[in-house]
Amino acid sequence: MVDWRIYDHPILEYDRGKEITIYLDGKPVKAFENETVAAALYAAGLREFSKSIKYRRPRGFFCAIGRCSSCMMEVDGVPNVRTCTMPVHDGMRIKSQNTPAQLLSPILNLMKLPPQKYMRMFTRPGIIYKPAMMVMRQLTGIGKTSQEIPEDHEIKAKSMEMETELLVIGGGPAGLSGAIEAAERGVKVIIVDDKPMLGGQLVKQTHTFFSDVKYAAGKRGFNLGNQMIERVNQLDNIKVLTSTTAVGYYPNENTMLLVGQDETSIRIKAEKYLIATGAYEKNLVFDNNDLPGVYGAGGVQTLLNVYGIKPGNKGLMIGTGNVALMVAYHLIQAGVEVAGVVAPSITRIKGYHVHAAKIKRHGVPIITRHTILKALGTDRVTGAVIVELDEHYEPIEGTEKKIDCDFICVGVGLTPAYDLVRLFNPEMKYVSALGGFVPIRDKQFRFVENAYIAGDCSSIEEATTAMLEGGLAGLYATKALGKESSDLDEKIAEYSHALQEDRDSPFSTGLVKTLKEVTVENIMEVIA
Amino acid sequence: MTVETELNPLQRGYYTREEISSVFPSRERLEKGRVAVIECIEEIPCNPCSAVCPVKAIQKETLCTPSVVLTDKCSGCTKCVGVCPGLAIFNQMIKDGKGYVTMPYEIMPAPKVGDKATMYDRAGEEVGVGTIVQPTYQTKGDSYPRWIVTVEMDDPDQSYDVRAIKIRRD
Repeated sequence: MVDWRIYDHPILEYDRGKEITIYLDGKPVKAFENETVAAALYAAGLREFSKSIKYRRPRGFFCAIGRCSSCMMEVDGVPNVRTCTMPVHDGMRIKSQNTPAQLLSPILNLMKLPPQKYMRMFTRPGIIYKPAMMVMRQLTGIGKTSQEIPEDHEIKAKSMEMETELLVIGGGPAGLSGAIEAAERGVKVIIVDDKPMLGGQLVKQTHTFFSDVKYAAGKRGFNLGNQMIERVNQLDNIKVLTSTTAVGYYPNENTMLLVGQDETSIRIKAEKYLIATGAYEKNLVFDNNDLPGVYGAGGVQTLLNVYGIKPGNKGLMIGTGNVALMVAYHLIQAGVEVAGVVAPSITRIKGYHVHAAKIKRHGVPIITRHTILKALGTDRVTGAVIVELDEHYEPIEGTEKKIDCDFICVGVGLTPAYDLVRLFNPEMKYVSALGGFVPIRDKQFRFVENAYIAGDCSSIEEATTAMLEGGLAGLYATKALGKESSDLDEKIAEYSHALQEDRDSPFSTGLVKTLKEVTVENIMEVIA
Repeated sequence: MTVETELNPLQRGYYTREEISSVFPSRERLEKGRVAVIECIEEIPCNPCSAVCPVKAIQKETLCTPSVVLTDKCSGCTKCVGVCPGLAIFNQMIKDGKGYVTMPYEIMPAPKVGDKATMYDRAGEEVGVGTIVQPTYQTKGDSYPRWIVTVEMDDPDQSYDVRAIKIRRD
């Protein structure tokens, strides 16, 4: 039986738990109890998780952290479950959602109709559009809820009301440090995260951090995450709600609506909010960029470092920043061959030179001034075509080159997850240097009167600055709540100084300038 | 078609030996004993190396300025090799006509004393075969578990080139 798991890693020991069996369309699949459905199926060789609704194109996963919705399947009778965040249990039954469409595919393919053609076919004449769409939707893969109530069904849904002084949304580096700083000074805190565990993306960062030894430097990301989680557990005035998603904010009542474990609906009334929701991975536009085998760099990191599963035998990395270079190194560490790092940049590789150097000396080609044109393959990636770029980032004709690989990893950056921020009705601005839409904030990290922002959702940077920002936001919130603490101002000054020092490198010059453009003295003057 | 040699170091991802020779200690110094070589030329906010150095031989003006090794102070203890997040610190030595490079090593298989290893330069080109003489491993619970291996080579001059190894198990 195919097994893509890594059993021998230089840094990590995977805690997989007991071996169990799950069933995919009735066939048994080996799994471990600490895995997610997608991880277990991927380890067993499954690459296609669903099909696209309109064009029946195969879908793998992209992000592996519950954001991209490419991996939806039917789990224990429930359709449209994001398998990448769903933990497995013994005897779990998983079904592909698109079986009828699979049966239909060969017929439609025989008719040799390009997808655009039959999409148009069902829109004219207008009178048959609606019924035709109903039929199409039944045939394609959006799943079907079972109409029968199972015998052992119990209604789990409950509702809950809570009150707190500071509600932190997002349990990554920014959220955790904000929560810790506030709670250490007597603030009543609730931390909410939509994942089953805290730590955000720190759990998959096996490299040691830069920065000052006073803070995170020299420590591996996952160790830092564990340290912060331990501290959170020590503090009695922090309540943690995992697998809980914030879905709505009611400004008049100052209340956040959330959906928690076992579908519990939760209302939390908080005096202050700290939004630290992180970011989404970007994809790049190229032919076939939706093929199974095209993954986000973070998705690959999750597979490798959280679940210990190889994404393939030979990967091609696209990207020129630190994340792309670092994930290429993580692949080498996991014993996966890297066909090359395609760096779409002209003047220099955008990441730190030391990151490029450590993969280059292990024989990984760094292909600067190139970008990807298309992914090759019909139902999964079998290769890629890359092309050289001129000074204006335009492809030079005739320089196309084919590269063999069985997966493509896209590490071209992140975009702030501003969805929740926007519910507070702040002043938003699109700033490409910060990664996308961000709110105007003031020097105390407030974007509205009662809400603070920190980490990647305020500007795309890295974990060390996220921790400092989060810490500062937590301290400012503590101050605004009127908590007395002898070292409050001292700590604020210390963290502000550290943040400034961290951004004092040539790599941050542009960022510092842009941050000034979205930071005001007092937010109340902007939103009033 | 762009040729790699036409690119500058920051475009191609590595410095040639000539380009980075300004950070090298002299051959005489290597013959006196082990010494740190820091191949970190950019302004990165980072300081574990200067913080860990027990003899204050690594100088850093601010958090972002590149580190400078005071070679007459450096005792060659290899602590900095283990803490550098950029894996950019090496130790070099020449003893009894043989070259020694101490480097961080974080890939499989686990190194053992006496293992033969293919040696690579900064560009990933093979430069010969060496012998592992001293693997160190900081425990997994540590902040920076990492093997620190010392590889012995017959040509002492190669200690300026060798920056990566692949352990041979054939």
